Amino acid sequence: MSSAPLVKAVRSGNFVARILRDAALILGKDLLLEWRTRTRLNALIFFSFATLLMFSFALGPDTRLLEQNAGGYYWLAILFSSVLALGESFRVERENASLDGLRLVPIDARSIYLGKAFGNALLLMLLGVLLLPVMVALYGVTLVMGFGRLLAVLVLGAMAISWPGTVHSAIASHARARDVLLPLLLFPLIVPALLAAVKATTLVLHGDPMLQLDSWFGLLIAFNLIYWGLGLALFPQVIEE
Amino acid sequence: MRNWLRPALAGVAFAMLGVGAFLGLSWAPPDREMGDVQRIMYAHVPAVWMALLAVTLNFVSSIAYLFKNTWKMDALAEASAEVGVLFGAVGVSLGAIWARPTWGVWWTWDPRLTTAAIMLVSYAGYLALRRFVEDPERRAVWSAVVAIISYVDVPIIWYSVKWWKSLHQVQSSEKTVDPQMVFALRWNAFALLGFLIFFIWSRYRIALREREREVALPDVLPSGQAGRVETSGAVR
Amino acid sequence: MTSAWLLVLAQQASDVSSRVGSGRIQGGWEYVWVSYAITWGALILYTIFLWRRRPEATTGQPE
Repeated sequence: MSSAPLVKAVRSGNFVARILRDAALILGKDLLLEWRTRTRLNALIFFSFATLLMFSFALGPDTRLLEQNAGGYYWLAILFSSVLALGESFRVERENASLDGLRLVPIDARSIYLGKAFGNALLLMLLGVLLLPVMVALYGVTLVMGFGRLLAVLVLGAMAISWPGTVHSAIASHARARDVLLPLLLFPLIVPALLAAVKATTLVLHGDPMLQLDSWFGLLIAFNLIYWGLGLALFPQVIEE
Repeated sequence: MRNWLRPALAGVAFAMLGVGAFLGLSWAPPDREMGDVQRIMYAHVPAVWMALLAVTLNFVSSIAYLFKNTWKMDALAEASAEVGVLFGAVGVSLGAIWARPTWGVWWTWDPRLTTAAIMLVSYAGYLALRRFVEDPERRAVWSAVVAIISYVDVPIIWYSVKWWKSLHQVQSSEKTVDPQMVFALRWNAFALLGFLIFFIWSRYRIALREREREVALPDVLPSGQAGRVETSGAVR
Repeated sequence: MTSAWLLVLAQQASDVSSRVGSGRIQGGWEYVWVSYAITWGALILYTIFLWRRRPEATTGQPE
C-alpha cells in the first residue's frame, strides 16, 4: 500500500499550518506596530465617536427616530472608519517599500492576506465594541436580544468589510487618488453586508418577533465565505510584480 | 474585407432602432393598466439587458486575462465595462422616469433597479481605477481583480435588496402579455444588441491601440507624457 | 405568521394602488418622449465619441 496519499495529506496539513502561522506572524507585526504608535488607533476611535455624534445632530432630536435607526448609524460610523483603517493598512508598507521586502521573504501571499485582513477586522471589531456604549447612551437603545448576538453581528460584519476591503486597499494604495478610490470601490460592493448587519443589529436592539434574524445571519455568513475565498484567490495576483 | 463589417453593423443597428421606435411608440398597443407610459419599457428593458450582457463579458474577459495575460482580453474588459456603464446609465434613468407616472415616485428601491444602480457605481469605480493606474500591466491585473469581485457581488446585492424590501411593489405582471408587445420588445432588444456589439467592437479597437502605444516603447514614460522622451528615466 | 405577512402585503398593495389610481394611466407622453430622447441621445453621442477616438484618426496624437 503506497504511503503517497498519507504523505500528501501530511504535507497539505503542513501547508495550511504554515499559512496560518505566517498569517499570525504578519498579524502580530501589524498589531505590535499599531500598539507602539497608538495615535492612529486613538484617531480612529475619536473619528467613529464623532461620526455617531454628528448623526445625532444631523438627524434631529426626535429620540424615537434616533432609537429606531440606531443600528444604521452604528454601522455607518463603522463603515466610514473602515475606510480610514483600511487605507492605513498598506500605507506603512507602501511608504517604506516594505511590501517588496515582505514578498522577498518566502511567505505565501495568502498569509499576508489572511494576516492583514484579520488585523483590519480586529480593528473594526474593537471600534464596534467601543462604540456600543456610545450608541446606547446617545440613542437610548437596549440590547433586547443580548450582547452575545450583537457581538456575533459585529464579528461577521467587520470581517465582511475586511475581506474585500483588504484586497481593494492593496490596489488603491498604489493608485492615484487613493483616498477616493477605496470608498468608491468598496461601498457599492459591501451593500449586502451593510444591509444585513444593520438589519440584524436593529433586530438585536429591538427584538425579533418575526424571526428574521437567522436570514440576515445567513446572508452575512455567505458573504463572508464568498469574499474570504475570492480574496484568498485574488490577493496574490494583486501584490505580485 | 472586415473593414466594412463594423460600419455596416452600425447602419443596421440604427435602422433597426428606427423601426423599433415606430414599433414601440405607435404599433404596439398601450398597456391595459399603465397606458402609453408603458412604452418606455421598449427602451428601458433592452438597455438593462445589454448592460448585463456587457458586464458579463467584462467578467469573462477579466478571468481570461488572469489566466492568460493577453492585451486583447484587457482591451475587451475595458471596452465592455465602458459600454456596460453607458447602457446601465440609460437603463437606470429610464427606470426612474418610468417609475414617476407609474408609482408616483422617482425611486422605489425595487430590487432590480436598485441592483442596477449599485452596479452602475461599481463599474464606474472600475473605470476610475483604470484611469488612476498608469502601469499597463498592473492596471490590467488590478482591474481584472476588481471586475471579478464586482460581478460576483451582483446576485448577492439582488438577493439582499429583495429581502431588505421584503415586499414587492405592485409591478405590471407578465401574465397576459400581448404578442405585439413581445415582438416590439424583442425587436428593440435586437436593435440594441447590434449597438452593443458595434460599441464594444469599436471601443476594443481603441483600447488595443492605446495598449500598443503604451507598451511599445519602453524608454518612453507612460501615456500622457509621450511627447517628451526622457532618456534618463523609466526603466519599468 | 403568514397571515401577518398577508395583512402587511394587502396594506402595501392598497397603499400603492390608491396612489396610482385604479385602471389606466392617462397620457404621460412627456415621459415617453424624454425616455426615447435619452436613449437615442446616448447612442448617437457615444457613436460620435467612438468615431472621434477611432485608431485611424489618433495616430501620433498624445493621450
